[in-house]
Amino acid sequence: MTMQHSEPFSFTIVITGAPYSSQAPQTAIGFARAALASGHRIDRIFLYGDGVHLASALSSPPSDEPHWPREWSQLLEAHDIPGIACIASALRRGLVDEAEKKRYELSAHNVRAPFVIAGLGEWVEAGLRSSRVIYFHGGSGA
Amino acid sequence: MSTLVVIDSAPYGDWTGREALDMAFSLAAFDQPVTLLFLGAGVNWLRKGQAPEGISQKSVEKNLSAAPIFGVEGLLADGRDCEAYGLAEADLIAGVTRVDVGSDLLHQYTHTVFAG
Repeated sequence: MTMQHSEPFSFTIVITGAPYSSQAPQTAIGFARAALASGHRIDRIFLYGDGVHLASALSSPPSDEPHWPREWSQLLEAHDIPGIACIASALRRGLVDEAEKKRYELSAHNVRAPFVIAGLGEWVEAGLRSSRVIYFHGGSGA
Repeated sequence: MSTLVVIDSAPYGDWTGREALDMAFSLAAFDQPVTLLFLGAGVNWLRKGQAPEGISQKSVEKNLSAAPIFGVEGLLADGRDCEAYGLAEADLIAGVTRVDVGSDLLHQYTHTVFAG
């Protein structure tokens, strides 16, 4: 069934649950695909907290399981949607891009394209620009 | 745009509350109106005299005391939850307003946010 709206929405999707420990990334991708199929726009994906693990270039699930980081990367590239991982959440959890690798003199970087890391200002802007900001949480909170 | 950032889990047990606090400070840094609401076990964030050094954590009490300086408009606590956790006025850090949480309160904000 297709939703009917006089004007399409613009969505920011915030994911705070990690792949393989929460359902958040796959529920969010289902939502994103449905929204795009219904003619809505997705302004950006913002990964926060444990959600930053979705941007790992090193995730290697067994071949008979869905590869959520790859699925998400492909969706972002196909629709030219910016994917942003919060820098503070990412660095704490070992998600590092090339610039931060150099800054902290680390041995490797592991952010999967097209994801980039940036500050919470991107999330603040999302609240101002997008018509809806939708959160997908891991639900592991006490 | 005005945002209510909700913290509903106790401090020190997980990281979601700290990340919610970062969201609130970030909104304030960009001059966006933001208020923090503590619910359920989250009201324990507001307890005076926290001493988490023994578990190698920094006290969240200092961060919260600095919230008004950084432009966070209010620190709200669910009055019933304070009572449930034995938090009287004198047990709370300065600047906390106890409120009845319901649709009247939530409707005052354009966005309501949980960190996780």
